[in-house]
Amino acid sequence: MSPFTCSYERELGKALHDGRWPTACPDELRAHVSSCRSCSDLVLVTEALHASRRSATDIARLEPPGAIWWRAQLRRRNAAIEKMSRPILGAQIFALVITLVVVAGIALWQAETWSSWFTELPSVLHLDALIPSSTPQAGILWVVVPVFATIAVLSGIVVYLASEKQ
Amino acid sequence: MSWESIIPNVLAGDPQTLACAAPAAAMDNEQFAAFYARSARSLWAYLARVSRDPALADDLTQEAYVRFLCADHPQDGEVAARRYLFKIATNLLRDHWRRPQSSSIDEIPEEIFAAQSGEAHSDSLAMLGPAMAQMRPRDRQLLWLAYAEGYSHHEIAQITGLGSASIRILLFRARRKMAQLIRSGGEA
Repeated sequence: MSPFTCSYERELGKALHDGRWPTACPDELRAHVSSCRSCSDLVLVTEALHASRRSATDIARLEPPGAIWWRAQLRRRNAAIEKMSRPILGAQIFALVITLVVVAGIALWQAETWSSWFTELPSVLHLDALIPSSTPQAGILWVVVPVFATIAVLSGIVVYLASEKQ
Repeated sequence: MSWESIIPNVLAGDPQTLACAAPAAAMDNEQFAAFYARSARSLWAYLARVSRDPALADDLTQEAYVRFLCADHPQDGEVAARRYLFKIATNLLRDHWRRPQSSSIDEIPEEIFAAQSGEAHSDSLAMLGPAMAQMRPRDRQLLWLAYAEGYSHHEIAQITGLGSASIRILLFRARRKMAQLIRSGGEA
């Protein structure tokens, strides 16, 4: 017998668990329990907890199993979708990075050509007619480019919002 | 297999495709309903008595079953499935207790649990309620699993994650304290 157990504890525990205590137990065990503190503690605590368990199971408030089943199905489905969309997201990010690199490369390569094209653009489109004559010619580009950029961004937002609504 | 062929199956809840996400969720709806009927009340009792909060027990019972259905749970019979369910519930309780600030279940002040004793009114065991309130949450778990549910020390170790060797000593001390509290009417 260790300091933490009694040699009767296993037998007593089984009798308590099976509902055989005290009537269906040998006299020797009953006599032991009355003289052993550890075993009397075991009986007291186990009987109290069994009674508590019975009262708790009677008042348990349970959701229908179908609702829990449905919720689990939903969670599994979402997990499966998330698992499968992860590589797609990775591919999208990779494609975006490659596109940005290519655009930056082309921009650097064609910077000189585009710069001269931008300089000539106002005169090609006759935009100087819209600009006050007091504005210096070199500054027209700095008006035209932001205007076009704003139009492009706003168009993108409108298209995005329209597609979201659909 | 292409994405176009997989994703519609997932969206439609195709069992074969879903099985890839949760390989061992093998119970069908009827099997689960039967298992739930046999196990839910005892799980709720465990959560309600250990947490001393029936509303929390409601939430954690549902969550435990949802996680049980989504998880790769053991296939070797109902006893193992129940044990696994109790393990999930124990982890959920631990997560709940850890959430505010404390890093350990033992660091949580008892006042938190004493304040949640609204359910004591429905407890027919007037002596047990105050005694349970005086116990540490971990001791309540151990006592409940050992003496209300009848789990062995080895099974309790599996459920709680504690060392199998320490269960015997912890249980002995908790039982002695609990018995003292019951005899004294819950006054330490």
